[in-house]
Amino acid sequence: MPFTLETRLGRIRVERRVGYGRLYSISMTLLSLAIALLVAGLILASLGLDPVAAFQVIFGVFMKPSLLLESIKQSIPICLAALGLSIAFKMNFWNIGAEGQLYMGMIASTGIVLLHSYYGLFNEWAIMPLMLLASFLLGGAWCLIAGALKARLGVNEILPTLMLNYVAMLVVEFLVHGPWRDPKGYGFPLSIPFPDYAKLNFVFGEPAYTGLLLSVLGAAAVFLLLEYTKPGFEIKVVGQSPAVARYAGIRVRRTILLGSFLSGGLAGIGGLSIVSGIIGRLRPGASPGYGYTAIMVAALAGLNPWVVIVASIFFGGLLTAGGALQMSMGIPRAAAQMIQAIIFLMILVGEFIKRYKIVLEKPGVSGS
Amino acid sequence: METLVELRGIVKKFPGVLANDRVDFELRRGEVHALLGENGAGKTTLMNILYGLYRPDEGEIYIRGRRVELRSPRDAISLGIGMVHQNFKLVESHTVLENIILGLRENGLRIDFESHRRRITELAERYGWRIDPMARIWQLSAGEKQQVELLKILYRGAEILILDEPTSVLTVQETRRLFEALRRMAAEGKGVIFITHKLNEVMEVSDRVTVMRKGKVIITKDTRETTKMELANYMIGRQVIFGRREASSKPGAVVLKILDLKVLGDRGYPAVNGVSLEVRSGEILGVAGVSGNGQVELAEAIAGLRKPMAGRILLNGVDATGMDAGKMIELGVAYIPPEGNKLGIVPEFRIVDNLFLKAYRYPPYSNKILLNWRRMLGKARELIEEFGVVTPSVFSKAKSLSGGNIQRLILARELSGIVGGAPRLIVAAYPTKGLDVGATEFVHDLLMRYKEMGSGIIFISEDLEELLLLSDRIAVMSGGRIRGVLAREEADAEKIGLLMSEAAIQAG
Repeated sequence: MPFTLETRLGRIRVERRVGYGRLYSISMTLLSLAIALLVAGLILASLGLDPVAAFQVIFGVFMKPSLLLESIKQSIPICLAALGLSIAFKMNFWNIGAEGQLYMGMIASTGIVLLHSYYGLFNEWAIMPLMLLASFLLGGAWCLIAGALKARLGVNEILPTLMLNYVAMLVVEFLVHGPWRDPKGYGFPLSIPFPDYAKLNFVFGEPAYTGLLLSVLGAAAVFLLLEYTKPGFEIKVVGQSPAVARYAGIRVRRTILLGSFLSGGLAGIGGLSIVSGIIGRLRPGASPGYGYTAIMVAALAGLNPWVVIVASIFFGGLLTAGGALQMSMGIPRAAAQMIQAIIFLMILVGEFIKRYKIVLEKPGVSGS
Repeated sequence: METLVELRGIVKKFPGVLANDRVDFELRRGEVHALLGENGAGKTTLMNILYGLYRPDEGEIYIRGRRVELRSPRDAISLGIGMVHQNFKLVESHTVLENIILGLRENGLRIDFESHRRRITELAERYGWRIDPMARIWQLSAGEKQQVELLKILYRGAEILILDEPTSVLTVQETRRLFEALRRMAAEGKGVIFITHKLNEVMEVSDRVTVMRKGKVIITKDTRETTKMELANYMIGRQVIFGRREASSKPGAVVLKILDLKVLGDRGYPAVNGVSLEVRSGEILGVAGVSGNGQVELAEAIAGLRKPMAGRILLNGVDATGMDAGKMIELGVAYIPPEGNKLGIVPEFRIVDNLFLKAYRYPPYSNKILLNWRRMLGKARELIEEFGVVTPSVFSKAKSLSGGNIQRLILARELSGIVGGAPRLIVAAYPTKGLDVGATEFVHDLLMRYKEMGSGIIFISEDLEELLLLSDRIAVMSGGRIRGVLAREEADAEKIGLLMSEAAIQAG
């Protein structure tokens, strides 16, 4: 993104920074975090709240085991969706629809649970594998709609993926208000609570552990796909240049279909982790924007699947911290969200400054 | 004679490169001064400094004896400096007139088109150009577009003219006319700087020549007092051999047979309009013609990248009409695309990835799903050795390579085939375009070697000299048709030019 602006002060140029050290990278992140806390602190102080106490709560999230587990739990849908997005983004396929794909994964998982509970189909031990499969397929199919539109008709994927988010949310609304409403739920728009065998708590009874396992397996799968398989190589070539891919004899359309399906599929499993791990049933608004956060996580992690895990836990922690701030300090919900947003923003700016440098050329001075 | 431009001790550094190393250069009034050097020698950098696009890190610039600071092209233009870039900078959908007066300071709110039109026509006639100021740019040939670029500069009263590789897009006839115009401009007391890497052109048009190599000026000489051979040695720093290459092999069986092929171009018109050709194994079929006459579309159809709308393509007797690129690769077709740095490589990928852009999906480099990186890395190291790709490692990104090395990488991938063995058919589209003498020699050698190994080769080029050097037969293409096929014994520049222009007359 080279960019030049002529001003009276001289010429301001934004250039890509050529190679930077790890130490520089880490210190820039820490610096932007510090600036974020400073700004957030000023806002808190202006609300008459003690910033230091608030920061203790925020950092406490990563120190206290119970809150850390909560953060990890929150990170799982983000992580799985971001892993899926990493595949799509490598393919230069701008999937903005992880949110909707999460919801489709939730619908698929809940569907399997209901088939068992209402009609007694399947054995109990088969429920979880079936849920995994169904959420993967349905999430994938949801993204495949946009993929097929792009592959067949050349439709840009951004709008279809984005708009299908709303469709997916409305499908959930319809289901929990209508056919899937819990008969014993006093008319609330909720599905029945999931039975234990449909929950992600079979490792030490704690969903965070099972979820973390899912995240790690997902990251490994994405890593292997992109680095060691033929379809992964093809996805990367298509992402760099469809023209070169065609020249190389790669079937570009098929690759787009496959890549978009895998991307949505991983988000679908993320949806499973919400209903089976975090909430324990299906309800409207089950995702507070995990799918959108995942876009940032994938970008910040530089599409590296292992870094995605770490970045997701950080963002999961911020979500948890928001709740903790409301509860322990009585900070209004909006203020808590503002603090989250400031931290998001500063880190994004920090990433930008890391990758680009701004040069001011003074006029009238020769290069010597 | 008055000195128009003097550059003293110019130094320009880019990250990791010393593009100009204490360069001195002088342009006199009334001369055509050739700036000769291989790609990457620093010619264009130096001229961009003179045109105000770059600032030198050190050194001084004098224009007509006065020391100046050039902060932007605007400063340069106001000092009477004009530059024609290699890629034209014209608004395609506007008229010639609009392009020429675009950005002129003297225009107020009302533009007097009539007087501009008259003055532009007069100016064009002075150099023997017949150009309609009301024509739209996209209707013009490359030669005419270049005339518009020159008019744009002259109209602004420039008397220091810089032309960056101006002949690379021109036919023989157009080149000749350009040279006449340049001589005329010099005679009027302007100074012309002519950037090139073609020795013939230096000898033909210039009064003096400055040779650059690796960012340094090697020598400045009167053209009359030097020879092509001497200049070539200065330019690449070693002896070069000119001459036709003789091969011992005889053409064998027919590898490719094309029958009445019609292919649509990007604009939806037939770009290839009824071409029939035959290529035998162990034979180089040259395709001559001005670029943009259907050569690339023909090549792409053979490579499976463009579906023919009529006609047939037979490979070793098998009907391959309409097969996709993957199938063509499997049938042993290697394709060296034009502008290799765009279509031929993925710049962000490592060298090893680029070497296996096609072969990755075939054993032994992969099984049904998994890639075998160890095999690929081993083979990649062999290939960069064999094809002389200069790089610190196979893990370097392709974009870090120079133009010549990128072409070597593409050749290594294409010629080594998908699993080894010479390709049945090699389609090489402008494989030496933009390459320096050393790299061009290498490409020529390779094509000859593969010809002797029995590949059939289609060699598309605009450079008649190299076509005559390598081809066994030369097909002249224009307007999407083959206008004639000449055996190498009967072919010469005049005959080929005649076939091209006859077609133009028929078409016109």
